[in-house]
Amino acid sequence: MNYEQAELLDRLAAEYTLGTLRGRARRRFERLCVDSAAARSAVYRWEDHWSTLSRTVTPVEPSPQVWAAVSRRLFGDDTAAGSAPRVRRRRIWQLAAAAAAVAVVLIAGLIMRQAAPPPLQTLAVLGTDTAHPVWRLERRLPLAALTIEVVGKVPPAAGKSYELWALPRGGAAPVSLGLLPAAGSAERTLSERQRTALLAADKVAVSIEPAGGSPTGNPTGPIVIVTNVPVAG
Amino acid sequence: MSRHEPDGAELEALLARCAAGDRAALETLYARVAPVLLAVLMRILRRRDAAEDALQDVFVSVWQRARQFDPIRGRALAWLVSMARYRAIDLQRATRPAVALSEVSPLEPQLQSQGPGESGGMLGTGDLLVRCLEQIAAPQRRCLMLAYEEGLTHSEIARAVNEPLGTVKSWVRRSLIALRRCLES
Repeated sequence: MNYEQAELLDRLAAEYTLGTLRGRARRRFERLCVDSAAARSAVYRWEDHWSTLSRTVTPVEPSPQVWAAVSRRLFGDDTAAGSAPRVRRRRIWQLAAAAAAVAVVLIAGLIMRQAAPPPLQTLAVLGTDTAHPVWRLERRLPLAALTIEVVGKVPPAAGKSYELWALPRGGAAPVSLGLLPAAGSAERTLSERQRTALLAADKVAVSIEPAGGSPTGNPTGPIVIVTNVPVAG
Repeated sequence: MSRHEPDGAELEALLARCAAGDRAALETLYARVAPVLLAVLMRILRRRDAAEDALQDVFVSVWQRARQFDPIRGRALAWLVSMARYRAIDLQRATRPAVALSEVSPLEPQLQSQGPGESGGMLGTGDLLVRCLEQIAAPQRRCLMLAYEEGLTHSEIARAVNEPLGTVKSWVRRSLIALRRCLES
């Protein structure tokens, strides 16, 4: 890397960490950080410098519901004291599940808010919108396995399962990537067919299927989520 | 140093335990840093409910990404504060309408009192960033602080300081270059 490039990276990292790099430029820089160790280390350097300013803030005690909600989202702990469900979030999901015939199209893609070293790469975050994630998919290239973590409230679907599908570019038939966990996380080893399908996919989808998964090998129930995934590099 | 700064080594140890799946460590980490992160989030998001929602999201992410934290790459508090700030910045467009000058003005006195020029007593004298910020002219420094602490965009800063957008952009750019030079010296 030449001097000008290093300068440019440093300037972008400075504006990114300061917060003045916004919109598409911000997302582009986040994507750059996935691949560029130099960009990441420029970000880390600036983050370290800026963070000394946070020593001047006067701490604000959060209400007890915040920890209760964190604990519930991560550990399914409904008994936490002061527990107050995030009604809005739950209601959105009940609607989504009930009116499941309507496809909920979502945004996701490569989430790299905090620059992190590869090889574990976030493939997609599935939810009603970016602020209400439910499942997170991570892959490790060369993509022998997929990690699926529940990061939000899975909408109740009595007697049904949520099944994940790879939608290959060009409209080839969806390939099942298995069931989505209702809690915790799952590490899924991919078959050669699943691996090929996911590498060729530009979208993944979630459908509601009979418990245990689609009986036919194709989605039979309503598709509730469709989201873009980054093309494997 | 500061009465508010959590101990870095302790935070790193807690993050390592989180990475190993120790739930109690997350709860301790929360007790240590959630109040600081909430303060950071409230400055940017302005509303307590939005800031508390963001705080939730941040701690869910901390648990999920604890194993990605590399102590060699940076300090634990910097990692946590950055995660909170980026979350707030990403949420801003959704939760905060365009800021009117009248909303920004009441925050100015706070900035004055917490600005680097007046904070020598609160921040140790060994603080390199603060020393470098002090070398930047006050109006330019104020733009940086509005961006960092309040999460304002270039246009919002321009309105707050009543300068043309182009001027603010070039002030920010040049201040950052000067800051980098000073930090490296």
